[in-house]
Amino acid sequence: MSTPKALRPSPALRLASNGFLAFWCLLAAFPLCWIAVMSFKVPVDAFASNPFSVLFGPETRAAGKGLSICDLLLGLGALWAAFRLATQRLPSAVVWYSPPRYRWLGWIIGVLVFGLAVVVVFYGILPALSRVINPWLGPLGKPLIGLTLEHYRAVWVENAFYRNFLNSLLVTTGVVTISLTVGTLAGYGLARSGSTLAFWLLVVALIFRALPHSVLVTGYLPVFIKSAEILRPIFGDAAPTLYGKPWAVIFVLVSINQPFTLWMLRSFFQNIPRELDEAARVDGCTHFQAFRRVIMPVMWPGVITAGLFSFLVGYNDYLTTSLLLDAQNMTMVPAITSYFNAETTMTDQVEAVAAAVSITAPLFLLVMVFQRQIVGGLTAGAVKG
Amino acid sequence: MRATYFLLAAAICFMAAVAQAGCTYENTVSLKTSTAAFQAWKAVTGAMAECGNVESELSQEVHVKQAAGFATNPSLYHIGGVMTSSIVPLVNKGLVRPLDDLIAKYGQQLKPNQLMKFEGRTLAIAMMVNAQHLMYREDILNELGIAVPTTYTEVLTAAEKIKKAGVVDYPLGGSWKTTWLEFVNMYLGYGGGFFKEGNLPAVNNAKGVAALEMMRKLTAYMDPEYLVADSTYVQQQFQQGKIAMANFWASRAGAMDDPKESQVVGKVKMAAAPAPEKGGIPASTLWWDGIVIAKNISEAEAEAAFRVAMEGLDKEMVQANRDLAVWLIEGYEPGPAAKGAAETAAAGARPYPASTKMGLMQTAIANNIADFLTGRQPAKETLANIEASYLTAAKESGIVK
Amino acid sequence: MKLKTFAAFVGPSLFLMCLFIAAPLVNVIWQSFHITQPIMETVAVETVTPGFLTSTVTVEKVTRPVLDEKGQVKTETRFVGLQSYRNVMASEKVAALLEGGAWGEILKIDFYKALRFTLTFTLITWPLVIAFGLAVALAVNAAVKAIRGPVIFVSLLPFIITPVIGALSIRWLFVGDGIMTAFLEWWLERDIAMFAQGWTIEVLMLFYRIWHVVPFVFVVFYAGLQTVNMDTLESAIIDGASRWERLRYVVVPHLMPLIVFISLIHLMDSYRVFDEIVGFTSQGHVISLQWLTYDFLTPDDSGNRAISRAAASSMLTMIGIVILLIAPMRRTWAQHKGGQL
Repeated sequence: MSTPKALRPSPALRLASNGFLAFWCLLAAFPLCWIAVMSFKVPVDAFASNPFSVLFGPETRAAGKGLSICDLLLGLGALWAAFRLATQRLPSAVVWYSPPRYRWLGWIIGVLVFGLAVVVVFYGILPALSRVINPWLGPLGKPLIGLTLEHYRAVWVENAFYRNFLNSLLVTTGVVTISLTVGTLAGYGLARSGSTLAFWLLVVALIFRALPHSVLVTGYLPVFIKSAEILRPIFGDAAPTLYGKPWAVIFVLVSINQPFTLWMLRSFFQNIPRELDEAARVDGCTHFQAFRRVIMPVMWPGVITAGLFSFLVGYNDYLTTSLLLDAQNMTMVPAITSYFNAETTMTDQVEAVAAAVSITAPLFLLVMVFQRQIVGGLTAGAVKG
Repeated sequence: MRATYFLLAAAICFMAAVAQAGCTYENTVSLKTSTAAFQAWKAVTGAMAECGNVESELSQEVHVKQAAGFATNPSLYHIGGVMTSSIVPLVNKGLVRPLDDLIAKYGQQLKPNQLMKFEGRTLAIAMMVNAQHLMYREDILNELGIAVPTTYTEVLTAAEKIKKAGVVDYPLGGSWKTTWLEFVNMYLGYGGGFFKEGNLPAVNNAKGVAALEMMRKLTAYMDPEYLVADSTYVQQQFQQGKIAMANFWASRAGAMDDPKESQVVGKVKMAAAPAPEKGGIPASTLWWDGIVIAKNISEAEAEAAFRVAMEGLDKEMVQANRDLAVWLIEGYEPGPAAKGAAETAAAGARPYPASTKMGLMQTAIANNIADFLTGRQPAKETLANIEASYLTAAKESGIVK
Repeated sequence: MKLKTFAAFVGPSLFLMCLFIAAPLVNVIWQSFHITQPIMETVAVETVTPGFLTSTVTVEKVTRPVLDEKGQVKTETRFVGLQSYRNVMASEKVAALLEGGAWGEILKIDFYKALRFTLTFTLITWPLVIAFGLAVALAVNAAVKAIRGPVIFVSLLPFIITPVIGALSIRWLFVGDGIMTAFLEWWLERDIAMFAQGWTIEVLMLFYRIWHVVPFVFVVFYAGLQTVNMDTLESAIIDGASRWERLRYVVVPHLMPLIVFISLIHLMDSYRVFDEIVGFTSQGHVISLQWLTYDFLTPDDSGNRAISRAAASSMLTMIGIVILLIAPMRRTWAQHKGGQL
C-alpha cells in the first residue's frame, strides 16, 4: 500500500521526525549497550569515569586480555554469518525438516541447535583460532580493545548461574501457562456477559491491580513459612511448606497479574463478533463448545500478546521471588542482587553486570521473535480500553 | 558427545570427593542454614557444606526470613547466622537453643570470648567481630606532615589541610547510607544515653546537638552524595584513590590491598576510631557475628547442627580466609586489618547496645536524620522528631505504656 | 449468558484472586483498625557479649515479651479505631501546624512528604509519557517501511528489560563519577553530584519511569494508528485540514480509547512508585507512599515491625488510587453497558 501523496510529509518534517526517532533509539538502547560494554572489562576499567577507558579498557588490555584487529574482523564476520543463517537458512531448514504438525517443536530444536552452535563457535573455535593466528600477524595481532570473558565464566561456571536460569525457566513457563488458561476462560466469560455483576468484577479486579505489591507479598511470607503448621489439621503430615516452592510463587504471580490479563483478554474477546459464537449456539453448542470450536481458533493473536505480558511478569519479578523463594529455587533476577548489596567488592559488581546482561539476552530473543505478534495482537483489539 | 558427559560426570565426582576432604566426618542429618550473604558467611557455610547434607541459604532478606523461619515448628532452619542486633528477637521469643551441653561435648576449642551468654546460658557462638575505625592514606598524611588524628577536631584540621593540598577528590569518606549508625557512634562518643526510665527517649539534649553538628561539619569534606554511599561504594573510592580518610568497617581492610581492584595497595593504614572529645571514647561501636541453633528441632538434629557448625568455624577455614574478617576463632593470626579494631576496642569503644527499643530508636533516627544533614530541619527539631517517631512506634509495639 | 455458565468461566480466576489478593486485603483492612501487642515485662538480666580482646558483661533492664507455657509469645489484640491512621497522618501535629499557619512545615512530615512526591511523580509523568509515546508512534509510522522493524525492536527494549536492571543501568551512568555525570560536568564546566540533592534524584526517577514506560505507550498507539480510517483522513485533506488539524481532529479522537487505557494503567502504576526509590536509594531525600508502607512493614534489625501503621498507610494509598481512577472508570461503565447490545 503506498501512502497517498497528500499524506506524505514535507522534507523538513521528515527530517525532524527521523531525527527525533534516532534520538529516541539512542536513548532507548544506550544504557543497555553501555552495561554490555562494562561487563567485558576488568573492574578498574568498568567503573572508570573516562568513557574511553570503559570502551577500550586499557587495564584489561594490560592484563593481556583483548581483541586485535584480526580478532575483530573474525568476530564481525562470524556475527554476520550467524545473523544471515538465523534470518535466512534457519527458517527454511525448520520448515524443511519438521513435519507441518510439529513445526513448533522443529522451531524449538532449531533454535536450541543454533544457540549451541553460536556458543561453541564464539567461545570455543574463535578464541582458539585467534590464538594460532595472532602471533603471525605482528602489529595487526596486538590487542586493540580490552575484552575479557572472566566475569561471564565466574557467573555461569563458578557460581552455577545456570541453576537460577532453570528456575527462571520453570517459574516463567508456569506463570504463562496457568495465567493464560485461567485468564482466557475468565476474559471470555466477562466479555460475553453484559451483567452488572461482570462489570463490578472488572472494577474489583482493577482495584486489586492497584494494590501495592509490597503489602501483599510481605503478608504472604509468614503464612507461607508457617503453612505446614497451619495446614496440618487438614492434610496431616503431607502438609507442605509453601515457602521456597516454585509452584507457590507461580500461583502468587498468576494471581497478581490476573487483573491485567483479564482486562486485556476481555477487550480482545469483545472485538470478536458475537455473531460467531451465537451462530454456534444456534447450532446447539453449549457455551463451552462454542468457546472451544469457534473462539479458540481465532483467539491466538490476543492470547500471544497477553502471554508476552505474563512472561515479562514471571521473568522480571523481583519482590515476590526474592522474598518467597529459598536459595535453591532462586530465579535469576533476585539472584543477581546478591552480587551488589552493601557487602560486595568491585569484582562482584562487574559480575553482577555480566549476570544482568545474561538475563537480558533471552528478552532480546523474545522480542525479536514475537515483535510482529505484539503489534499485531494489539492492533487486533487487545487494548480497546 | 558421550565423552563430554562422561568427563563432566567424572569431574563432578572428583569435586565431590575433594569437598568431602575438608570435613573430618560425614554428616548424615539433613540440615539447613540461614545467614546473611557477605564474604565471611560464604566461607563459613562453604566449610559447613563440606560435611555433606547441608543446605545453605545466604540471603539479603535474612532479617525478614530468619525469625519467621525459626518460629515455626519444626523450625525451617537449623543453624542461623546472627549479629549483635538480629539475635534480640530470637532470644526474646525464646527461639534459640541453649548450647552449654553441646559446647561441653563438642566445643572444647571455643574461646571464652566467643560465647554470647544471656541469663547465664550460652545462646550463641561468635565467629568474628567488626567495628568501624579510622583508615587513612599513610602516604598522603606523611607528605602533608599530618599526625594520625585521634579526635574529630584533628580529623577536621587534617581534612582541611588535605582539601587545601588538593591531592584527592574528597578528604573524607563514609558509608553514610546507614546514617543512623554514624549518629549512634558519634552520640555514644559524646557520652550520650538513648533512654530514660520507662523506656522513654532521651536524645534531645546538648550531646545530641553536638553529635549532629559534628556530623554536619564532616559532610563538608565528603562526597556530596554521601547519603547514597554504601560500604562497597566507599571501598571503591578508597581503592581508586579518591578519598584519604574514613571511619570504615574493619572487614573491608583486606580489599584495600587487593591488587586486582585497588590502585592504593599498601598505602591504606588502620588506627583506632577517632573520639569526638579529647580523651573520650572512640565514636564507634563493636559488632559481632555468630551462629545460633534453632530451638524447635529434635535433639539429634541439634547435635548434628552443632557439630557441622563447629566444622564451619574451624582452624582450616580461618587460615584459608584470613583477610575476610577479624575472626575470633582459635588459629587466627591477626593481620593488619585486626589492628584498627583491636585499638578501637582498647580505647574503650562499647558493644552496640542492641535491644528491642534500640531497634525502634534506630528506625526513628534513620527516618529523620537526613532532614538535618540536607538542611531541611535544625538540630533541635530533628532530635524532637526522632523522639516523637520513637514514641509513636514504641506505643504501637507496647514497649511504652 | 446464564449465571452458572458465567461462574464456570470466571471461577478459577476469581478463586485465585480471592485467595491471593482479596484475603490479604481483608486482613490489611482489619489490621488497620486493630493493634496486636505482646505483653511486656521489664527485668534486669546479665548479658555477656563476645569481643575481640575480652567479652563484655552488662547488667541491664530489658523490656521483653512474656512467654506462655508453650513457649509462645503472649499477645493481646485490641480495637483502636482510627488511631493508626492518625499516627500515619500525624493528625495532631498537622492540626497544630495549621493553627500556627506554618503550612510549609506539613510537607516535612513523612506521610505528606511521600504523598507530595507520589502525586507530582504521577501527574508529571502522565502527560509526558502520553505525549512522548504518541510522538514516537507517529514518527515510526511516518518512517520508511524498511527501518520500522529494527526501530520497533530497539524501542521496545526499555520496556521489556527487567526493571531492577534498567534502574541500575541508569544509576550506574550517573552515580559518583559515572560517565553521564562526567559528561555533564565537562559540558557545563561545573561540579555535579546527581545524588546529592532531592530534586536531581527526582529528575532521574522521572526520566527512568518515562524511559521505561514510553515503549509500551508507543506500541499501543502504533497499533492504534494502523487502524486509523484512511477515508476520514482523506476527506479531512480535501477539506483543507492542516497536518496539525488532522492530528487534532482525526487521529487523537481515534486513539482516545487507547489514551484512556494507557492513562488508567499509568496512573495506577506510577501511584505505586516503589522500584525507583529502592533502585536510586533516594530514601534520604524523597520517599513515596508505597515505600512508606514497605518501610513500616520490614522488620528492623531487632525484629520490630509496625504492622498496624503499614496497614493504615496502604489503605490510604489505595484510597488515593481509587480517587484517581474514578474518571476513567465512568467511561468504561458506559462502554460496558453499550457492549451489551
